[in-house]
Amino acid sequence: MLLHLEAVTKSFEGFQLHPLTLSVERGEFFSLLGPSGCGKTTVLRLIGGFETPTSGRVILNDQDITRLPPHKRNVHTVFQRYALFPHLTVSENVAFPLHLKKLPSAEISERVKESLKLVEIEDLQDRRIHQISGGQAQRTALARALVGKPELVLLDEPLSALDPELRMKMREELKTICKKVGITFLLVTHDQEEALQLSDRIAVFKSGQCLQVGTPKSIYEDPSDTFVARFIGAVNEIPGDIQGEASSETGEIALSSPLGVFKLKKNGHSLPKQVSVILRPEKMRLLRSKSTTQENLMEGEIQDLIYLGSRTEYAVKIGQSTFKVFEQELERLKKRRLNVGDRVFLAWRGDDAIVLPQST
Amino acid sequence: MKNNAVIPSSAWIFLIWLILMTLLPFSLILGMSFLQRTDLGNIVFAFSLKNYQQLFDWVYFKVLLKTLWLAFGATLSCLMIGFPVAYFLARVQGPMKSIGLILLFIPFWTNFILRIYGIVSLFGSNGLFNQLLASVGAPQASILYTRWGVYLGLVYNYLPFLVVPIYSSLEKLDPFLREAASDLGATRFQTFRKVILPNIKEGVLIGSLFVFIPMLGEYVIPDLLGGAKEAFLGKVMVEQFFILQDWPLGSAIATVLSVLLLGALWLQNRWTSKNQQPQSQELGHAI
Repeated sequence: MLLHLEAVTKSFEGFQLHPLTLSVERGEFFSLLGPSGCGKTTVLRLIGGFETPTSGRVILNDQDITRLPPHKRNVHTVFQRYALFPHLTVSENVAFPLHLKKLPSAEISERVKESLKLVEIEDLQDRRIHQISGGQAQRTALARALVGKPELVLLDEPLSALDPELRMKMREELKTICKKVGITFLLVTHDQEEALQLSDRIAVFKSGQCLQVGTPKSIYEDPSDTFVARFIGAVNEIPGDIQGEASSETGEIALSSPLGVFKLKKNGHSLPKQVSVILRPEKMRLLRSKSTTQENLMEGEIQDLIYLGSRTEYAVKIGQSTFKVFEQELERLKKRRLNVGDRVFLAWRGDDAIVLPQST
Repeated sequence: MKNNAVIPSSAWIFLIWLILMTLLPFSLILGMSFLQRTDLGNIVFAFSLKNYQQLFDWVYFKVLLKTLWLAFGATLSCLMIGFPVAYFLARVQGPMKSIGLILLFIPFWTNFILRIYGIVSLFGSNGLFNQLLASVGAPQASILYTRWGVYLGLVYNYLPFLVVPIYSSLEKLDPFLREAASDLGATRFQTFRKVILPNIKEGVLIGSLFVFIPMLGEYVIPDLLGGAKEAFLGKVMVEQFFILQDWPLGSAIATVLSVLLLGALWLQNRWTSKNQQPQSQELGHAI
């Protein structure tokens, strides 16, 4: 265990971080994910040393660093707007932490070169900061954070200042670079796709509270509450009441909802009577006609469709609610083409549904 | 950089203004500085370098050196007082900041001459300053009507003009630079020396020139606070025009002053352009 937060809290005007206990393993890529104002950046600043917790302890490598100033922590940060030093060139920026450590100049130039090579900007080394693009600035900031071989690198929304196309490219490169250097990374982001793609584990935050910590798969497939489910990926929700007890042989329970009665699988959690059933768009099938099936069926009307090449996204109106469904284009030729206004059926299996207590 | 653009009509007003109010008077002064005068003060239209030669007389050259020296010293003092003030104002947040800025500018709501007379009454032989000295049993300090009086007046009057450019260059500085430096291992002092100072150097230099240049030509402060003995370039120049009726010599002094100013402006221009190279053309095909 490299980093351990122990019941850390922070309060300032208009914000409170609830007691947070969190551990990050050595070599792990860990993400703090949440909407803006959820406290994820505060957590990062507490780890970086830019803020001091109101209570609790921050432990890095078995050493209590709670009150250590930033320059004494072996933690480097890639800032959201990079914060590169405008009076220095690219390579001077990267050399900055090494000069502070008073390393011999041969070693400095060796390591700077190595770092610039890692992020593929060797040819920019003599450029001034105002002479490089956003993506290049991003790489420079990353090189500068990595060159000192810190124990932990903090990434504060590092890709948010880039345009979407570049962001996708940098995301992949970031992943490659992180795997290559084997340093522990802690990423703060509001972009769920970014977190899913890059992270070994994710902590989801909402208004100063950590709701769930888990692998990308567990957070997507098994969210702990409706907020997490809604925040990670697209959802369809059916609110309803659990009817009676689970049947002992099949483990099935019945849900009565405004849209009908559905069969669900009991998943071990003890559930209150009022629940929310979460269905991911890709877990539902679109049927052209009513078929006899073991699955749950709902009848509705196509309200909208977006053709995206590899798949089509449909919005299907059922009763008062609209459901989002993705259909892969693999069997398109065999299937009847659907248009807005067509009557369709949505089929889904009880064990694909995520059943959660209704959020208040 | 080519600038073939047609001058927009609104710029003409400015251009005409510039010609009428700056270029024309300056040319007149420049022309006059090469003329001579009769003993009665009438101007003789005969080309001569006599006025400039006269300036290299020790009498005048001493004044020039003294003025440069005093302006330099006063600028340095403004810097030593103004820098911490600007730094404090840029760092502090909330009501302290606005109060500080208001305090800095309040004197400017008062007439300049009145402020100088304020100094006179504060530092006069019966002024508050000497009363304070007397109350602790210290001997009287005669600051007024010496070069220290001029010095005090210059520092007092020009201080805000140095604080403002330093303050604004500190404000413009990305606050995350400070955090980044500290994050990468710099102590507070290292952060200041290696990150903050290099980035505001320009503001400090510009601010210093901003006060140094007008100090050189200052007339009112030396006249009111320096007394009769203290010759100051601006004062000597005015005397040539209005008392000694030697307009050509006065013009020569004015020309020398203007050349000094232009030199300082040129220096300033060089410093700023060196640090702000034009954006690279290669920016376009960067990833």
